[in-house]
Amino acid sequence: MRVRIEMELEDVPGQLVKALEPISKFGANIQNVVHQRERKTPLGRVPVTVIFDVDDRERLDRILKELRDSGARITLVGEREGMVKKVVLLVGHIVHTNVRDTIDRVNSLEGVRISDLSLAMGGAGEESAARIIILADNEGRAEAALRLLDEIAAEKKLLVIKEM
Amino acid sequence: MRLVLIGFGNLGRGLARALLDKGRALHSSYGLRTKVVAVVDEYGAAVDDGGVNLRRLLQIVEGGGQVPDYPGGKREKPAVEVIEEVEADVVFELTPTNIETGEPGLTHIQRAMRAGRHVITSNKGPLVVAFSELERLAEESEVEFRYSASVGGAIPVIDLAKNLLAGNEIRAIRGVLNGTTNYILTRMSKEGVPFDVVLREAQELGIAEKDPTLDVDGIDAACKVVILANAILGMDAKLADVKVTGIRNVTPEVTKLARETGYTVKLVGVAKPDLLEVAPKLVPLGHPLAVGGTLNAVTLEMDLAREISITGFGAGPRETASALIGDMISIHRSVGAR
Ligand SMILES: NC(=O)c1ccc[n+]([C@@H]2O[C@H](COP(=O)([O-])OP(=O)(O)OC[C@H]3O[C@@H](n4cnc5c(N)ncnc54)[C@H](OP(=O)(O)O)[C@@H]3O)[C@@H](O)[C@H]2O)c1
Repeated sequence: MRVRIEMELEDVPGQLVKALEPISKFGANIQNVVHQRERKTPLGRVPVTVIFDVDDRERLDRILKELRDSGARITLVGEREGMVKKVVLLVGHIVHTNVRDTIDRVNSLEGVRISDLSLAMGGAGEESAARIIILADNEGRAEAALRLLDEIAAEKKLLVIKEM
Repeated sequence: MRLVLIGFGNLGRGLARALLDKGRALHSSYGLRTKVVAVVDEYGAAVDDGGVNLRRLLQIVEGGGQVPDYPGGKREKPAVEVIEEVEADVVFELTPTNIETGEPGLTHIQRAMRAGRHVITSNKGPLVVAFSELERLAEESEVEFRYSASVGGAIPVIDLAKNLLAGNEIRAIRGVLNGTTNYILTRMSKEGVPFDVVLREAQELGIAEKDPTLDVDGIDAACKVVILANAILGMDAKLADVKVTGIRNVTPEVTKLARETGYTVKLVGVAKPDLLEVAPKLVPLGHPLAVGGTLNAVTLEMDLAREISITGFGAGPRETASALIGDMISIHRSVGAR
């Protein structure tokens, strides 16, 4: 899952490196770090936002505990961005049946985003194939996206191939 | 143990060969002496109370003859008469599958049970059409009924689930249950060859039937889902309960798109209490179900053992004889224990 945490660090050298250490130690993959020295808090602390991917809740809890133990003040833990990833293939007259509309309808669901689309075009008049990667906030939203894709596919006579 | 073989095609002959190979071992290892007292095909029967000479019968049939060409053979003697008249312990029902009526296998099995014979079959037809009726009839008639060979060929998935994993609540069964479609998908994915071309080659190699509909449209796999659901999950499912999608629309491009993200496309059968389905699915490369060629594979999901997967040859006379012989030994053991 992808996690976003916001914390406040003391404004002394080495604090940022110290804060990032437990995150990578537990195998999480850091995606982005924003260190906002210009937005110091009244107590002189520096807000930092870190976005990282971590395998499971248990590891996340261990990371958070270690961060708190080291003196970081965590102000926000969010798991909003693309926590659940689903790969789906579509086969049929994908372009002909308005692929833009297919994507827009899935994207219109709350907490769901199509992050990648790869098309393999068939010859003229032939069927094409597409691979879609869906990112959703949680399992429930991902399931809703897959159900909607099933509906769209039935309407547009496309074959949907999902993960087992 | 006196045996009757109904059907002497690929499997009937494969079983005959295995019995010839294993005769001694069956006796020394299990104290089981077998004697085939009758064999029947569509044209008639070979009956011999002293034991049909299987070597001789194989020679006749492989030389282009028919079962009733056996010395003293009875032309046009129907299977039902043999089943009822010839004193026997076990009837092997090995005739072609008919998924609409279950016949002729269904009648053969019913008559055999009523006549007090244990039954072993590889034939999906009767199991898909009348599973619970046959289980009930076997119980009423106090005979054993085994059908390991009907799903997964040599793979002992039903026994694995019912005996070795007894005590688990089995929550889902997923499997690659059709060797022909798996062969087609594997070649498409590895070599980028289009569906039609691979299908034609598979037909030339004898891997696919002349009429590939049952395999390619997922119906054969759906039959196996029905049997697994009934035998292992205790359901009373019929073929119409299975949501079936075949592989006709899968192209090499589809398998390529899958591969690029770490998946392979497999025709997967799923049996869960709330879902019976056969459809092409994305299986992660390296997953136990990502088997190649004509292999079959099944994964059981349970409460205690969590996941167990098993892989093997899903068809072939010698491979499937393993299941038929295994069923026979299992009956020998349970009857001996009574
Ligand atoms: N082959 C495999 O690897 C495999 C694996 C698992 C399950 N199975 C199933 O096992 C069964 C047998 O398969 P197979 O490959 O051996 O089929 P097969 O080669 O077609 O043999 C069928 C046999 O049944 C005979 N038969 C047909 N109608 C009959 C009737 N009314 N009375 C008596 N005999 C009759 C045929 O006789 P004639 O030759 O005289 O027509 C033939 O000897 C099928 O249901 C199949 O789906 C096969």
